[in-house]
Amino acid sequence: MTRSPNAIAIEAVLFVAEKPVSQAELAKIAGASPRAIEAALIELEAHYEDTGLRLQHEGDDWQIVTAPETARFVAAYLGADRLRVSSASLETLAVVAYRQPVTRAEVEAIRGVNCDQTIYTLMSRRLIEERGRRETPGRPIEYGTTWEFLECFGLTSLEGLPRVITPEGQVRLPE
Amino acid sequence: MSLVPGSSAPHVAVEGFDGPLDLLLEMVEEKRIDILTVRLGDLADEYLARVRALAALPAAEVAEFLALASRLVLLKARSLLPSLAPDLPVEEGESEEDLRARIIEYATTRERAAALGDKLRAGSRAFHREGGASVTDLPPRGGDSGALAAAWAKVLALAAMGQREEDLVAPGERYSVEQRTGEIEALVALHDTLTFGTLLGDRPTLGFAIVTFIGLLDLYRRLVIEIAQDELFGEITIMRKTARMTAVDAPAPESA
Repeated sequence: MTRSPNAIAIEAVLFVAEKPVSQAELAKIAGASPRAIEAALIELEAHYEDTGLRLQHEGDDWQIVTAPETARFVAAYLGADRLRVSSASLETLAVVAYRQPVTRAEVEAIRGVNCDQTIYTLMSRRLIEERGRRETPGRPIEYGTTWEFLECFGLTSLEGLPRVITPEGQVRLPE
Repeated sequence: MSLVPGSSAPHVAVEGFDGPLDLLLEMVEEKRIDILTVRLGDLADEYLARVRALAALPAAEVAEFLALASRLVLLKARSLLPSLAPDLPVEEGESEEDLRARIIEYATTRERAAALGDKLRAGSRAFHREGGASVTDLPPRGGDSGALAAAWAKVLALAAMGQREEDLVAPGERYSVEQRTGEIEALVALHDTLTFGTLLGDRPTLGFAIVTFIGLLDLYRRLVIEIAQDELFGEITIMRKTARMTAVDAPAPESA
């Protein structure tokens, strides 16, 4: 299938980019309207479905990544070790991922335990990061997930977070 | 837990009750039997005596007994101490509804953590393009194959002169960087503009070229000269910077 010039241009830019590129920057580079870039990104996303690549995005920032199905081959080539995360850290990560931006106090209120260590561990593994401070008394730090988080869990965006059934039988979507 | 006829729960006999333990628990929970009247110590002693008499330990039954009996102990403890805190601490001002929401939230978090753990264990992750050389400087801007070819032709022309480096006794070989720098500085003082080609002369040796180039870099670092190269592999122009530096260093005119 022939791709549009915008999709081809975006693909080339994202291919050489070493960090995510914003939709606005892509529009500026390609000399196209934001709407045209959005359409081209959707087109490219569909094109990658049967390939070893995927388009990953967080908000308006986009990058090309390898498809999760190819993980073992790429990991073998890169010599990458599989990430291991303790169950306590996974709980903290789940709160941050689904409720971001979230403060440490909010994580602790949900988990019912001190989360200093798990937050430190997740930050040192670059799975979560500081997203600024909340304008409330004490100006607590807000945390959110990183691009590495999306990559480690094979997600193309936060919309792809697993849906779970609550104890009451409701399907909970990412908030 | 609902009681069904033919319950597999351990059979117990205490004052006021004789039957399966799950029936006792159910009756206590439904307040058909007052837990305060049930002597749990006797109940445990009676059950233990019966188990000890058996040839083999009925592990599954004992486990069930422990689970049921512990709930009876909890119910009795709460009856004796009505102020006993419930399972989860309730914050001041937190309603039962809030507590329920909090429990559901945590249960959901655990489910989500488990789902993320499953994804992690599945190992289906993505990788992005890793670092590598910066693409902003490579290839050099403005490069064209014609300029490269011209530079190569120049190299070939020099080689065609038939003199090899070791055959030459070039004055530059005896020069130190300091000497050469001083010479260039003197030349630049006389001529506002020079070219790198002029400084090298007709038959430069590699050593002379290097000493000259290092001298230029030193002068550039000291802000004595400015260097320009309009195109790749093109001539390097050296300009005296003294005039501009003087202007910069000159004291500002005093205001009236």
